[in-house]
Amino acid sequence: MHAASGRPLSLREHDETFGTTTVGALLRELDASGLLGRGGASFATAKKVELLRSQRGHHKVVVVNAMEGEPVGHKDRTLLSSNPHLVLDGAQYLATLIGARRIDVCVSRKDSAIVHHVQRALHERELRKSGPAFVLHTPPWRYVAGEESALVHWLNDNETMPQYRPRRPHVLHVGRSPALVVNAETSAHVGLIGRFGADWFRELGTPLSPGSTLVSITGAVYRPTVHEVPLGTTLRSILADAGADPDPQAILLGGYGGAWLSGEHQDVAYCNEALHPFGASVGAGIIVVVPRSACGIAETQRIVAWMANESSRQCGPCAFGLPALAQDLSTVLRGSRDPRAVLERLKERCAVIDGRGACRHPDGVVRLVQSALEVFKDDVEGHVNGSPCEGVTSTRHWVAVPALERESELVWE
Amino acid sequence: MSRRIDHFVLKVDPILCDGFGHCHELAPELVHVDEWGYPIINEQPTSSSDLALLKSAKLAVRGCPRQALRIERNSDPT
Amino acid sequence: MIAFTSPYLWYSTRATGLVALVLFTVVVCLGTFVSNRVGGTSVGRFELNELHRSVSMVAVAFLVVHIVTTVVDSYVPTGWLSTVVPMTSSYKRVDVAIGAVAFDLILAVWASSLMKTRMANTSWRFIHSFSWLAFVAALAHGILTGTDGRSGIGLAVIVSCAGAVLVTALWRFFKRPTRALGRTALSPLAPHDATKTVATTTTAPNTTRPFPRGSKQRDRTRR
Repeated sequence: MHAASGRPLSLREHDETFGTTTVGALLRELDASGLLGRGGASFATAKKVELLRSQRGHHKVVVVNAMEGEPVGHKDRTLLSSNPHLVLDGAQYLATLIGARRIDVCVSRKDSAIVHHVQRALHERELRKSGPAFVLHTPPWRYVAGEESALVHWLNDNETMPQYRPRRPHVLHVGRSPALVVNAETSAHVGLIGRFGADWFRELGTPLSPGSTLVSITGAVYRPTVHEVPLGTTLRSILADAGADPDPQAILLGGYGGAWLSGEHQDVAYCNEALHPFGASVGAGIIVVVPRSACGIAETQRIVAWMANESSRQCGPCAFGLPALAQDLSTVLRGSRDPRAVLERLKERCAVIDGRGACRHPDGVVRLVQSALEVFKDDVEGHVNGSPCEGVTSTRHWVAVPALERESELVWE
Repeated sequence: MSRRIDHFVLKVDPILCDGFGHCHELAPELVHVDEWGYPIINEQPTSSSDLALLKSAKLAVRGCPRQALRIERNSDPT
Repeated sequence: MIAFTSPYLWYSTRATGLVALVLFTVVVCLGTFVSNRVGGTSVGRFELNELHRSVSMVAVAFLVVHIVTTVVDSYVPTGWLSTVVPMTSSYKRVDVAIGAVAFDLILAVWASSLMKTRMANTSWRFIHSFSWLAFVAALAHGILTGTDGRSGIGLAVIVSCAGAVLVTALWRFFKRPTRALGRTALSPLAPHDATKTVATTTTAPNTTRPFPRGSKQRDRTRR
């Protein structure tokens, strides 16, 4: 077979005619695996890859998001400290699938040890001189810096601020190149699926949430660390492995923008389909255990105050609304002239703020607050009626929240 | 035979918006304002045959000092 | 060019020049009212914006008459080029040049406003900020060029305009909307709705900056 003009088939024509087996097989495996993103949104990775494949343009890039914006999340950091090549393998497979020539690995600059590990790993790959080019980037660490549009914005304009994306699905671009942004752990799973196949991947987990996942367990636990668990395991057994308080008051799931789960529901299967009825999700694999001695509202208030400070302040409802929520929660805790009215105002503000930002940052905080009002209902009643729980006076905090930085000291570049 | 009804909805870019509130003045049926001055836009599509509302929406788009508003049209078969 | 002169051309130039200055003073003040979020209760904010646009059109009309009557009048040898290119007038080179600079800036502001929907908002605002410069140039031009600028009503008008714009500029700078104010005149929890307020404004602002931080990305999102 040759072209009508009599000249031999070009490489492109050859690939179009016969296909490249590696790409086809890899794509099939990824699709069959049903892998969901591990960055928090749980979007099907195969769908993302399809979307990028359908984009025109030869200069595509893969962006590996190892920013880990959640302060109590350690899974991506742990992964890069123990097995960075798995993440890079996955990135390479994804680059092959979408035809990318460059892989931008983004690690926050505050983790100098992790940056060093990744640099070593990239150097080792460089020596092999094959595959796409890897470039290491170290953006500043912010909560929203892990949001994919904020990360891409930083790569383009040196500002870790989320973008407004009204039309979904929306393909982000680094410069003029369509970009596939993937979480580091997701990339690692792709690396394993590429090697061992979809059937192997599906041996663990549930049909809707296949595979294993990394979880960061902190709070009232003896072994606060990162565990790898099959999705669908009961939360109770995951907590037991970490040496958690067997009778916790509540568990924070997903991240600071996630939701509280009452301790009595800890027999739920740890997977999205089982958690959704409770208003929770796996999110970024974060689990924080809070004991009965704690005040859930106080814990929530500290999170909300910090999240308000981490707003990129681009949108009014978030910039004004989140500090207002923190203030209202604080007022509920301290007591006031008309606590019930403050509570009502808090609920109204939640409804008003929800969904009106460019990104999901305010939505996450609203979800957290609403789930707190539900899960800690009795405590809230107590505070409002003038008989606060004993946990509010405790100085011991169970959800680790970083210190509030002054606005002028926040680094977005 | 199905009739097509055109609908429109006002959309705001929350990053461009700076809470001037001109949209609320020009299209009060479509835009309310929160306690901080930022627009709460009715997300329910309005029929394009409601010319008065469509006119208000267009005035709001034109009157926004930050050009943060847009009219999104979609037609759905009845 | 046919030599043509008339004292009425001279009076027109002076009169329209002064009127244009007064009108531009009003335009600058109105524009500042819009930026500083004036209105919302007794007068609509959008009304001030529309007024700003309308008065600017009238001001430009008077400015054009002022320029045309100057150039057409052969008594003062200026020529069409010197209306836009500084330092090309044979008559009062520097003074007319300053007027040309003012006119150029006003043209830029005006043209950009006509094309506002076709350009990035931040670029439009950048060009619009030249209007302050244009005003200062117009003021200087009025003082230096006109015979009226030295004495009498002319001087009084010019000084009043300068004073008004100076006060406006200071007010704009020191009283620009800040986070701590929180509520605006349009909000449902505005002061007149005191039954709905629970407490006075104590929301601790999460920023000391005037308004949500601008981002370089702002205009990309318009695509």
